[in-house]
Amino acid sequence: MNLEDYRTLFIVATFGLALVAASPALSVAVPFRGGYERFSELWLLGPGHMAEDYPFDVAVGEDYSVFVGVGNHMGCSEYYVVYVKFRNGTQPLPDINNSMPSPLPPLHEFRFFVADGESWESLLTFEFQDVSFEDDSAYVGVVTVNDMAFFVESFSIWDSENSGFYFQLFFELWRYDVASQGFRFHNRFVGLWLNISVS
Amino acid sequence: MAIRVGVQVSVCRIRRLREVGGMSFSKLFFVFLILSVSVFVVPVFVSAALGADGEDVVVSAIDRAEESVVSAYEAVLDAEEVGADVSELLDRLNVAGEYLAEARVCLGLGDFDEAVRLADLCYDVVEGVEGEAFGLESEAHALGVTDSVVRMVGSMVGVVVVVFLGFVFWRVFKRRYSKRVLGMRSEVVSGES
Repeated sequence: MNLEDYRTLFIVATFGLALVAASPALSVAVPFRGGYERFSELWLLGPGHMAEDYPFDVAVGEDYSVFVGVGNHMGCSEYYVVYVKFRNGTQPLPDINNSMPSPLPPLHEFRFFVADGESWESLLTFEFQDVSFEDDSAYVGVVTVNDMAFFVESFSIWDSENSGFYFQLFFELWRYDVASQGFRFHNRFVGLWLNISVS
Repeated sequence: MAIRVGVQVSVCRIRRLREVGGMSFSKLFFVFLILSVSVFVVPVFVSAALGADGEDVVVSAIDRAEESVVSAYEAVLDAEEVGADVSELLDRLNVAGEYLAEARVCLGLGDFDEAVRLADLCYDVVEGVEGEAFGLESEAHALGVTDSVVRMVGSMVGVVVVVFLGFVFWRVFKRRYSKRVLGMRSEVVSGES
């Protein structure tokens, strides 16, 4: 290497070290925005706080419980609503492809705020009351969610393929959209199929 | 004759009394009928009107609570964006959100008194959050400005030091390099062909 080569090497090394020294100022001028995917999680856990032992065969007048949870990875604090809805097998679910929620009215709702990287969880207990069976149909009059009774008056026809009268308790996740100043369906839902019986 | 006239007069009096009595009974009957109908019908209209009013009161109480929660949340977001610690404010917003959700459920169930109570509780909880968020935002902003100045000045000093040291090192290196190269140069002896 001759002197010119050494000079070039010194200039490059000095420039590199100067960049390192200037990085705090550069971070102010050019704020780094994380390139990671922004999303929210919605989950349902069984009564043992595990992904098992979910209520399935349910009897009239008995309490059942699940944990519903939401995780925030949206990059900032979020304002969420979880709507608890009830349907029989023929009533509509949310349409994920078109980001449309189910048109069914919510029975119950949870409103909460979650910081980025944090999660929220709540216990939900439910019970069926005023249930009757006639030939090949079952009628559910009242669903109690967290000690609040809701009149649902829903019918389900006997499912011969799966041998049961099936209803579904499902949870929709909505988030507050600051730009539109309102809540929007966040394209996430989880459901719990329930086979109802007399005892 | 006098007796006959007396009898006729008394008959007329009895007839008049009967007519008067008959008219009073029919009037009384109508009045009674109207009152009876009123007893059953008026409360229906009154309660419907009061119910509608009651629902309006609940809806406006819930709207007021919801608006205050949303504006507090937006203020918290602004504070968070400039780096303020908003965890305590989020805890309070969560309490307010719980009240608001329960108020909305009670409205759906027709429990208007409880819905208004919960909406008012929500409003009370969230009342000071917006102001505190603005305070935190100002503090964080001031800290951020100081931090930026420190970073800029530190960086500039750092760059100057690096360039200066680079220059000094280069001068030292160049001198040593020249000495070494000159030291290796072969000597020319005069008189030799």
